[in-house]
Amino acid sequence: MAIAKAERLMNLALCLLGTRRPLSKRELRTSIEAYLEAGSDDSFNRMFERDKDDLRELGLVIETVESLDGEIGYLARRDSNRLPPITLDAEEAAALGLAAKVWQQARLAGAASGALQKLRAAGLPEDVDPYEAHGALEPRIPVHEAAFEPLMLACRDRRPVVFDYRKATAARPETRHVEPWALECWRGHWYLAGFDRDRGAERVFRLSRITGRVRSRGTGFTAPVPDVVTVRETVAGWAGEIADRSARIRLRAGAGYPLRAKATAVRELGDGWDELDIPYGHGLDAWLVEFGPDVVVLEPDELRADVVDRLRAVAKG
Amino acid sequence: MAGKPVRPTSAIDQTRRMLSLVTYLRERPGARVEDVARAFGITEDELVSDLDVLPMCGTSFRGGDLLDIDTDGERIWWHNPAALGAEAAEPLRLAADEATALLVAARAVATLPGLRESDRQALLRATAKVEAAAGEAAGASSRLSVTFESEGGVFADVDRAISERRRLWIRYYSPARDEVTEREIDPIRLVSVGHTYVEAWCRRSEARRTFRLDRVAEIKVLDEPSAPPEVELRDLSQALVQPAAEDPEVVVEVGPGGRWVAEYYPHDSADELPDGGLRITLRTPDPASLRRLALRLGGDGRIVAPRELAVSARQAAREALAAYETAYDGIETPGHTGHHTAPDARGAHAVRDGRYDRQEQGL
Repeated sequence: MAIAKAERLMNLALCLLGTRRPLSKRELRTSIEAYLEAGSDDSFNRMFERDKDDLRELGLVIETVESLDGEIGYLARRDSNRLPPITLDAEEAAALGLAAKVWQQARLAGAASGALQKLRAAGLPEDVDPYEAHGALEPRIPVHEAAFEPLMLACRDRRPVVFDYRKATAARPETRHVEPWALECWRGHWYLAGFDRDRGAERVFRLSRITGRVRSRGTGFTAPVPDVVTVRETVAGWAGEIADRSARIRLRAGAGYPLRAKATAVRELGDGWDELDIPYGHGLDAWLVEFGPDVVVLEPDELRADVVDRLRAVAKG
Repeated sequence: MAGKPVRPTSAIDQTRRMLSLVTYLRERPGARVEDVARAFGITEDELVSDLDVLPMCGTSFRGGDLLDIDTDGERIWWHNPAALGAEAAEPLRLAADEATALLVAARAVATLPGLRESDRQALLRATAKVEAAAGEAAGASSRLSVTFESEGGVFADVDRAISERRRLWIRYYSPARDEVTEREIDPIRLVSVGHTYVEAWCRRSEARRTFRLDRVAEIKVLDEPSAPPEVELRDLSQALVQPAAEDPEVVVEVGPGGRWVAEYYPHDSADELPDGGLRITLRTPDPASLRRLALRLGGDGRIVAPRELAVSARQAAREALAAYETAYDGIETPGHTGHHTAPDARGAHAVRDGRYDRQEQGL
């Protein structure tokens, strides 16, 4: 039966961590049972390269050293792999315990548990149930978008990407070439900020609108990465949260609580209607139409016309 | 325990865990299976499967022994800890992904407005220590960020009610019916998935309901004790809104400008249309609640079924237009047209029972 990959990786890690001198590929091959069973040189070499990459992925620093006779040797030095001393008290441990549970994405959930386990091995206090310590709070970071993982890796490694993107109102997706800077989750949705090579400017993309696969490009970034990337402000603008004007509407008494909650002024008219001043940003027309005959726009004219247009489209069915 | 983490099962995750496990076990001869599993956040079965692999591992190239680790199912014994040099068993530094996953989550949790101040301080201290210990590996964590949204005051009251086991009185806005209703709830837990929700036993509908905190118009912690019946906690990781199979079906056709509907509404299917639009089929206990959607879509979409829903949207739009047309004639101001926009659809909705609350957790 084939030897499990975890066993093979574990043996390679222990060999590389346990040695004081670089070990050659030949030595490693004769020391680890799975490699002895690997068959041809080719299949061993492929397996060995993949395993080294996997160990690096989980944080092992593996050095490659060329010896005097030209043979390549490998080792994982203690001083470059040792966790620096870290002392956390019980409260801090409970707080991290809570944080390590929030990811709903397999790779990050695994990485967060891995981090906690390393800290546990380094003496992180136990016996504190994070849920006990933090009341009833269960924060979760949702990740439903398939594009998340490749983009996360591309941001991490600063690798340009290509993907098909369908704008909110576009019929067909368009291919975009992007230098990805940062991912941000806001109100449960993920967004990417980066440099759009075709447009020569910064752009924000919503991950759920990426269609098909995210492909990476080997070349480096061509544009400088800003110190601070602000995804949220851009998205808030789309969502109409940034209002630069004010609108005046009539609202049926008792209706439209969220409009009242946003209003800067409410005047009772006494005839079953109230008059409200509300912030006027992008998307207000669509929102007002939702309230049907319970809302009448008074001004500005432009908003009134937009609402009437929308109502006419529905009325004609 | 509620809220189990997503179970990683990859070989990389298992290797990572076993490397920490050997460090941990070396210091604790005779450690209990139960305690170790809890410390590592894994099930006892997962731990036992690690313990099956470890005796096959070692540093055999220099004639070293394999790790002689075994368990009687209760305690774990390592008979030759010297097989692994003290140096090879030191705790390992954090990988970039590990530092990112933990730090981004910690920073996000620290933004929760309702977090107790002492917990926030502990989290900030821990974050700073982990950043320092992670060194360079912490760098990439600035490329991911998460903000939880929640209403601070409401959150604090719900949190207090849960820890003191007390009932809550709320005025809650239901967008489906555009109305604010009063109810008493026995809170069970708070969940943050983008928005923050409280899962509770609703005393008005005698059923489990999920309420979005930013729709709570008013809240009071009551003196009465909270007594939610024992309910099984659902896994809310996929979707908070889970339509039931018996719910009526709604079919919406949208043009390219209405594709967002598929992003916001959980649906059974979304089929591409030739013009770049979508035909979306979804289920809801209360199709009338989707009148808002039909109105919002305007020219970007239409309700195909049920027919009554399409008719009611059309009628609502005509009533709304009547107000403007009157005003354009210059005879009346819009407000005075209010009385002849009957029949009042809201009146009809209002008598409906709270069983539609399932929809209230909304979007």
